[in-house]
Amino acid sequence: MKYALNDESPQILHIDLNSCFATVEQQARPLLRGRPLAVTNRLTVNACVIAASYEAKAHGVKVGMRLSEAKELISDLITVETDPPKYHYVYQQLARIMKSYSPAVTMKSIDEGIIDFHGTRQAINKRPLTAIGYEIKQRLRDDVGRWMKCNIGIAPNRFLAKTAASLHKPDGLDVITHANLRQVLADLQLTDLTGIAERNQARLNACGIYTPLQFLDASAKVLKNQVFKSIIGEDWHQRLRGWEVDNHSWGTKSIGRQFVMDDYHASEETVRSRLALLCESTGLKMRHKGLCARGISIHLRYKNGDHWQARKAFRSTFFSNGEIYRRATLLFNQHPRADYVVELGVTAYLLETSHSHQMSILDEVNREVRLTDAVDQINRRYGNYSVTFASSASAKNKIKQKIPFGSTRYFELLIQQS
Amino acid sequence: MENTVTLNKAVNVVAYYFKNTGARLKCFPKRMEVDGRRVEFTETGLRHPVQKGQQLVHVFDMTDGNADYRLEFDAKNLDWRLVSIADMSYGAPLMRET
Repeated sequence: MKYALNDESPQILHIDLNSCFATVEQQARPLLRGRPLAVTNRLTVNACVIAASYEAKAHGVKVGMRLSEAKELISDLITVETDPPKYHYVYQQLARIMKSYSPAVTMKSIDEGIIDFHGTRQAINKRPLTAIGYEIKQRLRDDVGRWMKCNIGIAPNRFLAKTAASLHKPDGLDVITHANLRQVLADLQLTDLTGIAERNQARLNACGIYTPLQFLDASAKVLKNQVFKSIIGEDWHQRLRGWEVDNHSWGTKSIGRQFVMDDYHASEETVRSRLALLCESTGLKMRHKGLCARGISIHLRYKNGDHWQARKAFRSTFFSNGEIYRRATLLFNQHPRADYVVELGVTAYLLETSHSHQMSILDEVNREVRLTDAVDQINRRYGNYSVTFASSASAKNKIKQKIPFGSTRYFELLIQQS
Repeated sequence: MENTVTLNKAVNVVAYYFKNTGARLKCFPKRMEVDGRRVEFTETGLRHPVQKGQQLVHVFDMTDGNADYRLEFDAKNLDWRLVSIADMSYGAPLMRET
């Protein structure tokens, strides 16, 4: 436990593309520049805004808002559907630029990443990090397009670097050090800190902490025993002082896919066809990661708002689309026919490394492996779902691959699917 | 997209320009002939590759100042297709979910 502020010169640079999808769309289509724009996964009234341009944000449009609500705020709001290959291209360009400075690059999501300059300053990055930051901004404009903007934050740890990157949007560059930390925190609200939303704010308020400065001044003991009631409190204590506690990666615990029905009065047969495609998609992701699963769960949401969920763990592992669908159907058949299904999801859990390359003593298992390999090869060559279940054929054109938030684990798959 | 007219028709790109982007010199369309009409591009939006199975297609988002054009260049067959045109008449009503 370190009680003092980290007085090391900042070595972490956080890059965040501003309103990423909206900015990329405006870059791609010059006539959209300077206009209020919302990007959604589907052009329907109930779809939610997943990115809004700064012109739209100025009128109150927020990410997560329904498209119909956004249209009420701005009558001439332009709406476009997501185009994953474009975002993937920009992501690749950003990653390429970042990796040219340090091998320690972590892409946190599709639109943000971190460069750790530790160990590189003596030999190759002798300039101040602010100069490198401005150079990255220029390279992004040169390589992708002049409308591209990014926020850059420089600080001793990842948390403070992200905080610095959110201080002046759009196109800002800020540095947080031990010298200006108190001054920066004094201008922020608790909810401006990444990881502090309504619930954590309530926890802090209940212990008499109302501002980030009070949060900074709180002792590790109070944060651990009274506020968060876990080790998380100590992590916050270190994080706020500039010590690194977030430099770890998480393994994959579950893989799945969910879908909001295209028809809110869909028949049982239609729901099954969507389920089949979701199972195929789950299988594809699982094999892409070289994993197999022992457990499957499905969840349904009905039109009346009720939810239903079932899960089952099996003794044997499975990885093929057919097996995932068969086991998911076992669960699906138990669902109460209460109302129309409006949302369904499939999740595979209890993941293990796949040993499908190891020949089995059971010939039927070998046949299943060979068949799955052959189908995957065809789909890689001609695009995913070229060979698919007959039952999911009608869903093929309805369930489109959308942009994943938070993770870039399945990007290659996503591009193959598009 | 709401205001987009999808054409997907073969076109002739009759002039190009080159630009230094990062480490590489890249080629962009400058002038296109479609239906006997000549379109002069004034600005490049984005050029990005798209994988269609094993086939690689380069997508160019271009504008002539009045409309945005989406062009695809097939690097294997060396042909150009005008995929869609989007003009400035935005704001068509959204589909209502059933």
